[in-house]
Amino acid sequence: MTFTAPVLNYAQLAPMLIVLGGALIGVLIEAFGPRASRHASQLFITVASLVAAFAALVRVRNQSSVDAAMGSVGFDGAGVLLQGTILIIALLSVFLIADQENFTALAAAVPGSSEERESLQLDLRVTEVYPLTLFAVAGMLLFPVSTDLITLFVALEMLSLPLYLMAGLSRRRRLMSQESALKYFLLGAFSSAFLLFGVAYLYGYSNSVTFAGIQASITGGSGNDVFLLLGIAFISVGLLFKVGAVPFHAWSPDVYQGAPTAITGFMAAATKVAAFGAILRIFYVAFANAEWQWKPALVLIAIVTMVFGSVVAITQRDVKRMLAYSSIAHAGFLLAGVIALSKSGLDASIFYLFAYGIATVGAFGVVTLVRDSAGEVTDLNRWSGLGKRSPLVASVFAFFLLAFAGIPLTSGFIGKFSIFSAAYETGSTAILIAGVLSSAIAAFFYIRVIVLMFFKDPVEDGTSVVIPSALTTTTIAVTSLITLILGIFPAPLINFIESSAFFIR
Amino acid sequence: MNPYNYLYVSALLFTIGAVGVVVRRNAIVVFMCVELMLNAANLTLVTFSRINGTLDGQVVAFFTMVVAACEVVVGLAIIVTIYRSRRSASVDDASLLKR
Amino acid sequence: MLTIQTPEAVMFWFLAPLAVISAIGMLLVKKAVHSALLLAWVMITLAIFYIAQDALFLGIVQIVVYTGAVMMLFLFILMLVGVDASDSLTETIRGLRPIAITAALGFGGLLVSLIGRATLGREAAGLVDANSEGNVQALAKLLFSTYVWPFEVVSALLITAALGAMVLAHHQRSVPRATQREQAIARFRGASLGSAAGLPNPGVFARHNAVDVPALLPDGSAAPNSISATLKARGDMLESTQFELSEVDNTVTEEK
Repeated sequence: MTFTAPVLNYAQLAPMLIVLGGALIGVLIEAFGPRASRHASQLFITVASLVAAFAALVRVRNQSSVDAAMGSVGFDGAGVLLQGTILIIALLSVFLIADQENFTALAAAVPGSSEERESLQLDLRVTEVYPLTLFAVAGMLLFPVSTDLITLFVALEMLSLPLYLMAGLSRRRRLMSQESALKYFLLGAFSSAFLLFGVAYLYGYSNSVTFAGIQASITGGSGNDVFLLLGIAFISVGLLFKVGAVPFHAWSPDVYQGAPTAITGFMAAATKVAAFGAILRIFYVAFANAEWQWKPALVLIAIVTMVFGSVVAITQRDVKRMLAYSSIAHAGFLLAGVIALSKSGLDASIFYLFAYGIATVGAFGVVTLVRDSAGEVTDLNRWSGLGKRSPLVASVFAFFLLAFAGIPLTSGFIGKFSIFSAAYETGSTAILIAGVLSSAIAAFFYIRVIVLMFFKDPVEDGTSVVIPSALTTTTIAVTSLITLILGIFPAPLINFIESSAFFIR
Repeated sequence: MNPYNYLYVSALLFTIGAVGVVVRRNAIVVFMCVELMLNAANLTLVTFSRINGTLDGQVVAFFTMVVAACEVVVGLAIIVTIYRSRRSASVDDASLLKR
Repeated sequence: MLTIQTPEAVMFWFLAPLAVISAIGMLLVKKAVHSALLLAWVMITLAIFYIAQDALFLGIVQIVVYTGAVMMLFLFILMLVGVDASDSLTETIRGLRPIAITAALGFGGLLVSLIGRATLGREAAGLVDANSEGNVQALAKLLFSTYVWPFEVVSALLITAALGAMVLAHHQRSVPRATQREQAIARFRGASLGSAAGLPNPGVFARHNAVDVPALLPDGSAAPNSISATLKARGDMLESTQFELSEVDNTVTEEK
């Protein structure tokens, strides 16, 4: 066996490399940059590398190849669309992260200590969140394009580790934030152990760790399918945990509530895109020919997830927890697109991911604005009458809720419509019924919040809407605009997705 | 002896680790149980590598070790932070989030 | 074609039950340190299994990295957190343990029986061919050609871990530490000269010189500023009245 030098296609890897490069520059700024200008330079580097990565992605958008990196990365239309979505969401989230009110001044200081007070007075900032965000983004970019199990596992950890850390950096209620980080970490590590066990069985089954190799042994294997079954089951547990599907959702309400709101928005939107990208690729490419092995279980999980998320959301008294359960319900809707296992299912899933991700970032952006003297107010009771006090902010939030509910003239309607029609085309009537039913339940609680905001009297307890910074304003304006445009003129994007979304095998 | 015997051992270790994550309450012990699960997965990989006659499984196990080392650093940093704030490493004392 | 020699079988049947028993023991022992030591033993057993299965490199790495570094890091953190802290094994959620044990038996039994039923449709090959030029060399070739991209990307993971540990543990001194000279000036220029000679030590005139007992002032009242601010903040300061002289039997008995 002679050594063959590896050949990497740097143009196709450029988006990931640029983001990683930006993260490394950020680390160097942390080490050597003067503290006064650190925040500004970190923000500049982060935004610049995200924009540059997007430009690099646009440049290679029409290429496709199976060996962008020696068979570890599959570069194709669906990958480009998912990576573009992640970069756009990341950019909008970075604008929210730039608001210093979100993060603790000094993460190492014990809550309530004099050290913490001093650091708050000195206006210190945890500017490390910028490189950490970029590392997470790089992992997210890699996750949906990885075509072997090693890269899949490494990318999963790469996107998770920074998120575990950032979940614990909240400025207010720090103990709760740190606890949410611990919970996220322990359950995340637990699920990645399951994923790895699945990797082991798939390797045993197929004698290969690439998706193509697994697919080849599914079609041409000579043994029985026990190891394949075990592999698919364990890998699915690991991946479904990341998207928060029932029964692997236990972390998500607590982490959504405890993490800094800007991070919650980023995590909720971008992780979902990346994880569903990976799920779509592995099920569409590697497991497609073993459909009968996983479809029944996945249908059951999708239905339970939709219904559970929608029903439990009704009982929530906290905005962030409510959005968490709503995101669980959305994970169920998105699983319908995976189950469809067709071109239309793929197109619909990508559209849905884009629309849902954008609306989520916007909704969490609005949540950061409602505050009292002690920080953000997330108790729903205290949101009552918000529409009378600041009609614009309340209307924008109501609009995002309507998008989540899937009311016509919002992007959510088009997304739900296309994903359910894709599921129906492939004969999953049960999914369709459960989906429509839980959408109706979900609409009920979204509308309840809207009623609370507009038709109840405001409570006088110091809750107010702060004037957003220019960057936060940009995020909220852009996200609501995109949500509206996609609701009215979805055709250009749908056509674009239809023409370019495919998985290379 | 059949090389499959190693797979049985690994499955048992994985199960024991998973049970530990559920029943133990000290965050550090829970995390050690996760490490046990990762190790069990590694044993499966090495065994399959031998059964299949290719080294890819060993490469996966190698990557697992690197990733696990990173995970340990991050995890223990989070655990120590919590301990400093609360002087306890019990998962149940993390009760602010329980309803 | 793979044949397993008798020595390996003997080794397996000796070590495998030990590994499983240690792992179960890890769940049952009360103290976290004992769990850590049992886990370290399981990991050493696995290293022996790796070496027996022609994965020499991984076996050594397992010992050096896992048992040597990772488990020692665990022990280190346990020492930091308090080595005596034992975990109470009472259940918090009632009925969790029977459910967990039943689920575990079910899960483990299912897994084992499934593996027992699995066939691969090919003979176990063994690694003699793959390792023909040496295990390390063969692994290196794979690592630096086929798997070079994940290998490069893993470096980002290592940086993330280092950065994360820094974020959570690194303290920045917000104001420069006062020099001795500055401290002395502050004492003498302060509101009163009372503390110019330094603060009293704990326990002076209190018949007890533990750090948590405040000193007594000449008028018999306690001096809280003799106790470290940390102890005060924790509420660990003792009352000095319980050590008062009046409670002590101070009658002198004559020596014979």
